[in-house]
Amino acid sequence: MRLNTASQVISLARKLEEDGAQLYEILAQRHGDNRETWLSFEKENKKNIVQIETAYYGVITDAIEGGFAFDIDPDEYITKTEPAERMTYANAKMLAIDMEEKIMKFYTVAAEQSKSLLADVPRVFSAAAKKRGERLQRLKAAT
Amino acid sequence: MAILEEPLKSELKLKNYIGGEWVESASDQVQDVVNPATQKVLARVPMSTKDEINAAVRAAKEAFPDWRRTTPLARARCFFRLKALLEENFEMLSRVQTMEHGKTIDESRGETRRGIEMVEVATGIPSLMMGYNLEDIASGIDEYVIYQPLGVFCHIAPFNFPFMVPLWYSPFAIATGNTFIVKPSPRDPISQVKLAELIEEAGIPPGVYNIVHGGADAAVALLEHPDIKGATFVGTTKIGRDVVYKKCGETGKRAIVQAAAKNFIVVMPDANIEATIPSLLTSFFGNSGQRCLSGANLVIVSDDVFYKKFLDRFVEAAAKIKVGYGLDESIQMGPMQSPDGKQRVLGYIEKGIQEGARLMLDGRKPKITGDYPDTCFINPSIFADVTPDMTIAKEEIFGPIASVLRAKDLDEAINMANRSNYGNGDAIFTTSGKAAREFQYRIESGNVGINIGIVAPMAFFPFSGMKDSFFGVLHGQGKDAIRFFTESKVVIQRWF
Repeated sequence: MRLNTASQVISLARKLEEDGAQLYEILAQRHGDNRETWLSFEKENKKNIVQIETAYYGVITDAIEGGFAFDIDPDEYITKTEPAERMTYANAKMLAIDMEEKIMKFYTVAAEQSKSLLADVPRVFSAAAKKRGERLQRLKAAT
Repeated sequence: MAILEEPLKSELKLKNYIGGEWVESASDQVQDVVNPATQKVLARVPMSTKDEINAAVRAAKEAFPDWRRTTPLARARCFFRLKALLEENFEMLSRVQTMEHGKTIDESRGETRRGIEMVEVATGIPSLMMGYNLEDIASGIDEYVIYQPLGVFCHIAPFNFPFMVPLWYSPFAIATGNTFIVKPSPRDPISQVKLAELIEEAGIPPGVYNIVHGGADAAVALLEHPDIKGATFVGTTKIGRDVVYKKCGETGKRAIVQAAAKNFIVVMPDANIEATIPSLLTSFFGNSGQRCLSGANLVIVSDDVFYKKFLDRFVEAAAKIKVGYGLDESIQMGPMQSPDGKQRVLGYIEKGIQEGARLMLDGRKPKITGDYPDTCFINPSIFADVTPDMTIAKEEIFGPIASVLRAKDLDEAINMANRSNYGNGDAIFTTSGKAAREFQYRIESGNVGINIGIVAPMAFFPFSGMKDSFFGVLHGQGKDAIRFFTESKVVIQRWF
C-alpha cells in the first residue's frame, strides 16, 4: 500500500527510527567493542523522532495539503532489523548499513515530495537524510 | 489498514458548563451526536431551555467585573496554561474531531493546530491591547485611547470546524477582559466540551467561559438577550444575514457574521501543474468540501490543449482519493458530516446534469475503504463545461464537487468571479507576478490566495470576507478581533 498522507509518512518515519534504535540497542549489547557508537546512534534516532514529530505537529494546519503530499512505497524502505542470534560483527554492520541507506533514501524522497507543501517538514527530512549520510560514512569506516 | 485508537469509548451525556459548573440540562429535547463514518452514537446533546441560556448569561455577566479587573498579564497566564494543556491533549482533541465530524486525522490535527494558534496569539494581550496617546493636543492637554472590554459576548458555532471556529473568537474576547458563551453545533459539540474541560483546568475563573448546548432556539435566545454585548457567527448567508445580523442590529449588539461562499480558483496556463494539483485536491475536496474557503469553481484560463491536459490531470488525481473513516491514516477524504449534507450534494449533482454540465467524475456511488455504512459517504465529483449561469456555479454546495469553467483570459476570469454574490476566498495559480498582482488588485474577495488553495488567514491576521460572505465591520482573529471585543475610550486630560 502506497502512502499518501502526511500522517502515514510521519508514522513510517517513527517506525524506521524506532526499528533502527532497537537494532542499535541489540548491537550495543552483543558487540561491545563499538558500544558507544551504537548507543549514540540509538539516542540520535530517538531525537530524530522528536524533531520530525515536532515539525509535523507544528506546521500541520487545515490549509496545508497534508492529505495529498506524498506517494511513497513503504516496502522500499522497511528493512529487517532483527539480527540473527549469532550474527557476526561484519554481518551486523552490513545490516546497519543496508538499513541506513534505505532510511536515507526515504528521507530524501519524502523531503523532495513535500518540499512545497509542508514548510518545516521537508527541512527536517532533509536534515535527517544528511545525518544519515554522515552516519553511513562512520559505519563504513568502522572496523 | 490500522485504525488509530478512538478516544471516545462510551456514549457521553453532554452537560452545559455554566458559572464553572457542569450542569445537566432540564430539557427533554435531546439529540444524538453520531459518528458520520461508523454511524455509532457518540453522545446525547440537550437542546437547552431558555432558563438555561439566561443562567449562562447571568453567570457570564456576574463574572465580568472581576475578570476585567484581572490584569492583562494574569489573563495572559491563563492562556499560557491553556496552551500547555492543549498541546498535552493535542492528539485526543484531534481524534475526537475526526469521530464527531468525519474529517481525516491530518485535517483534524490541522484544525487543532489552528485553534491553538489563536490561544498563542491571545497570550500577547498585554501588548495587543495597548492604546495610544498624544501629548499636547493643545497646550498642556494630552489625549489618549484606552481599549476596554464590554461585557458578555457569545458565539454560535458551525459544524464544519467544531473545535477551531469558536477559537477564532473566544481567546480574543476573554483575553481582552470580556466573558464568553459558546453554543456549539449540536451535530458535533464534543470537542468544545473537551476544550471547556481544559479551560476549567487552566484556571480560567467560573463564569468567564460558558457552554450552552442547543439548536436554533438557543441561538435566538442568545441573540435576543439584552445583556449580551456582541455575537459572532459562522454559517449560512441566509441565517447569518437574515437572522443573526438582523437580530444583532435590533438589540444593539456588535456582530461578526461570517457566511457562505462560492470560491473561484483561477488556473493560468503558465501555472506549475505538478505543484498546483495537490493544492487543488485539498482546496476542493479537503474536509469533504465542507469549508467556507473550499474551492468551488475552478476557472481554467487557456486554449483547448492546456484545458484538456489540466482537466485530465485533475480528474485523474481526484479519482484516486481514498475515502473512508478518518482515523485510518491512509484516508484522504472522510464522509459528509450528516446524511442531510450528503443528500444536498447529491441534489446538486442532479441539478448540474439537468443544466447541461458534463460529469467527468461521478462520486455518487461511494467507494469506501473499510467496512462502513455509506450513509454519509460520497466520493469527489467534477463537472466540466460549467457556465457561470448554472446553479452549481452560483450556489454554495458545501461538498466535494468541483465545477470547472473556462475563461479566455484573466480579465474574463476575474469578471466571472466578481459577478458572484460571494467574496470569501478566491485564488490564482500562476507563475506570472503580473497576473497575480492584477488578480490581487481586482478580485472582490476578502481572502486572496496566490498559488494557495485554501486561503485561511493565520491567527494574527483577520479572517476577512466580502459581499454576501461577511456581515459586520471588524473581522475575527488578529487586531480586528481586539478592536471588536473592546471599546475605544478616549481621554482628554488637563491638570490645573
